[in-house]
Amino acid sequence: MLQIENLGVRFGQKEIFSGMNLHVGRGEAVCLTGPSGCGKTTLLKAVMGFVTPYEGTISVNGIELSPRTVSHIRHLTAWMPQGLSLPCEWVREMVRLPFDLRVNRSSSVSEAMLLEHFEALGLDKELLDKRLHEISGGQRQRILLAITAMQEKPLIIIDEPTSALDKASTQKAIRYVQRLATEGKTILAVSHDPDFMEGCGRQITIHNS
Amino acid sequence: MGTTIDISYWGLGIGMLLLLVPLYFFHRFKTGLVKATIVGALRMVVQLFLIGIYLRYLFLWDNPWINFLWVFIMVFVATETALSRTRLKRGILMIPLAVGFLASAILVGLYFLGVVLQLDNIFGAQYMIPIFGILMGNMLSSNVIALNTFYTNLMREQQLYYYLLGNGATRYEAIAPFIRESIIKSFSPAIANMAVMGLVALPGTMIGQILGGSSPNVAIKYQMMIIVITVTASILSLMITLWLSARKTFDPYGCIRRVFKE
Repeated sequence: MLQIENLGVRFGQKEIFSGMNLHVGRGEAVCLTGPSGCGKTTLLKAVMGFVTPYEGTISVNGIELSPRTVSHIRHLTAWMPQGLSLPCEWVREMVRLPFDLRVNRSSSVSEAMLLEHFEALGLDKELLDKRLHEISGGQRQRILLAITAMQEKPLIIIDEPTSALDKASTQKAIRYVQRLATEGKTILAVSHDPDFMEGCGRQITIHNS
Repeated sequence: MGTTIDISYWGLGIGMLLLLVPLYFFHRFKTGLVKATIVGALRMVVQLFLIGIYLRYLFLWDNPWINFLWVFIMVFVATETALSRTRLKRGILMIPLAVGFLASAILVGLYFLGVVLQLDNIFGAQYMIPIFGILMGNMLSSNVIALNTFYTNLMREQQLYYYLLGNGATRYEAIAPFIRESIIKSFSPAIANMAVMGLVALPGTMIGQILGGSSPNVAIKYQMMIIVITVTASILSLMITLWLSARKTFDPYGCIRRVFKE
């Protein structure tokens, strides 16, 4: 599903990483970990086309990432960035945001289905009718994880999905991600959480270059 | 209708004394606006006298080529003014702004002169110069507000832009919330103004025409059309500017480049 060959990224003179290779198969959940600043988030951003590498290639579903193919690759991915704070007033508004996009309009998303995902992540249905400032950081994180997963995309890219969760909620998030993988979705995550790392099928540690 | 009563230079001078009232309050409350007001007023007097001389000759010659040259000068000045009022790099906005102003003024202005007024000579100075002037002034003020709002919000809310892009949005879909905000901020005052026109305030064009000797009936029709063409030209020029500037605002992957001056 995802192939990274000999990838190198630098910001100005500073090399973030080089010679990076990674193959992630369909239905696999891979967690990237490593010290701060080693380039975990940068790697996710490179897969999304938000960071341009100076060497190497990235391919999703056999399509090599380039300015011509980037929009097609983004059609195949669902993306949950770290510490996401969207300028929405209501939870419903935030939930609707990705489903208003043309690419996601074919996703068969109903409120019942959304509440099913909420339940799997230990979220109350009442949250849907709350203002964003009325919910906790952990609730927001799980809602974002649910709407990322519901987009019917084959590749899910998530950055620190459990950083604001307690142990019990983290376990639910792990089971949720495992279920997505068994459904055939490919997960590429970044996490510092040992439980979440353990819960993913494969862990890859990136070291500072 | 009667003819317009001229204002003598003596009368103009006496009238200008009224500026002492705002200057007093600006000084009294330490607003820091005194110098800017005096410089602004002096510039206004010099510029308008010069424009008066230019216009006299433009009307005297009444040559379409000279009129168009004047339009180009207006576009150039409007572009430079807009650039100085935004913190954006020249290379990003200069050509898009100039093309936006020129194309919108020509399209909407000539539509009004040719289709609505059905003039025999749509390039005549008497109509072309004031209509293009009023369009340019309105496009300038609304574009400055809209572009500042668009780029400031885009830089501040980059997370939203990249979130949408990363979940499969086209670039147009990802910038749509920012375009929406900039349109709302820029056009809301004009729309609110339209709704109370004639009740709360008598607009400038109408007053000018009535003072110039036109009947109120003619004046209101002109006023209505002026409002419609200025709003239309302003939104058209904004869309053209944003569309043309997109190539330099985003890289081939859709990522936002550095657009503000260092």
